Amino acid sequence: MIVIDPAHGGTDNGAQGPSGIVEKEVVLRFARQIRAEFERQGFRTVLTRNDDSNPSYEDRAALANAYRDAIFVSVHVSSTGKVGTAHVYSYQYSNAVVPVTGTTNSGDGPKSLTIWEEAQRPYLETSHLLADVLQTELAQRFTGSAFTSTPFAIRELRSVSAPAVAVELSSVSVSDPNMLAALGAPLASALVRSVQISRPGLALSRNSNYARAPVAGAN
Amino acid sequence: MPRNLRITLAILAVAVIIGLVSLRSLQHRMQHLVQTPTTEEQARRDLLKSAISTPSDVEAQIKLFWADGPAKVTPTQVVLPLSADPVKRARQVIDALILQAPTPEQRTLPADATLVGFYILPDGTAIADFSDTLTSGMPSGILSEQQAVDSIARTLESNVASLRRLKILIHGQEVDTLAGHVDLTGFFDLNPAPPSAPQTAPASPTQNPAQPSR
Repeated sequence: MIVIDPAHGGTDNGAQGPSGIVEKEVVLRFARQIRAEFERQGFRTVLTRNDDSNPSYEDRAALANAYRDAIFVSVHVSSTGKVGTAHVYSYQYSNAVVPVTGTTNSGDGPKSLTIWEEAQRPYLETSHLLADVLQTELAQRFTGSAFTSTPFAIRELRSVSAPAVAVELSSVSVSDPNMLAALGAPLASALVRSVQISRPGLALSRNSNYARAPVAGAN
Repeated sequence: MPRNLRITLAILAVAVIIGLVSLRSLQHRMQHLVQTPTTEEQARRDLLKSAISTPSDVEAQIKLFWADGPAKVTPTQVVLPLSADPVKRARQVIDALILQAPTPEQRTLPADATLVGFYILPDGTAIADFSDTLTSGMPSGILSEQQAVDSIARTLESNVASLRRLKILIHGQEVDTLAGHVDLTGFFDLNPAPPSAPQTAPASPTQNPAQPSR
């Protein structure tokens, strides 16, 4: 399941350009293009929002965590950077997990729980693999983009219990909205290609027990 | 006219005169307050500002990390009078990072952002408390937020050797994100231990040296 996350929404416009381009609208259009491209290739997809709503970080993560084979892709457009370049991020922790154990209601005995805030930790390697492949694919399509992805603490990725990346295109500062809209198709094809390439390496067992898991707000 | 009525009228007249005088004085005070507004944050800023430079400051050549293109930060050598005290020194370098950006393009933090508090815990954790203008004045996007955190973290680790990790607060509070993207609920590692194997290749320009930890 490809979980496509158009960032922002609702009262959160995200980046806003001088010509009136609003990030929340652009990323929703991109997300729909990406969904169509994945479905053409036979993938199942779901959007974290398909309208002008703004699910919380937890709801977006919870939607991805509801699937056993999810790949989470968060889509952003910046207000800075060289127009037409793309940057891919995976989450980065550095110190050890503090394990939490608990007992299930069914009386099956103690089960290892994953802390909600640490949900991405088991997937850091696979997320980074996917991010690097995607960054390489994007660098071939968007001249001037880096060839390696950046590990960084991107909030939206932290509680996703699946391979997860964030991609950010530059930027809403373009004067012609069509210039930005033209980036949607190559972004979608790069995403599909990178998932196809890295998919064998993304197969990981899931831990479906959470210390604190909010209710998913699926669209 | 009866005597009682005259007395009442006289009292009322005196009261009206006193009221008018008080009203005029109140008006003056309000005008003065409007001309010199002092928010709680400004008062705090002024109070802390005066404590930054100390008589024992020594001029030193230091590195401040500003933007070099849209995706990375690089060091610039600056000569600055610095305190030997790590807390004061950290405040001085962060103030310089905000106030002395060579060009607007190299700026990584909003010009009106201020470091309102800085503390160092015994384990080397640095707590940097910024004004909320750090978040409200930040251009939207992962790139700009990453550069902001990178410039703070690398400037601190380059100039204050005792620091091990950084926690960023906004107006005294832990916040979820800097401006919607970068997670500020965790820590950012500073002065990491040297790698066991020698590093021969230079770091990738997009590679982030300030790794967050939880």
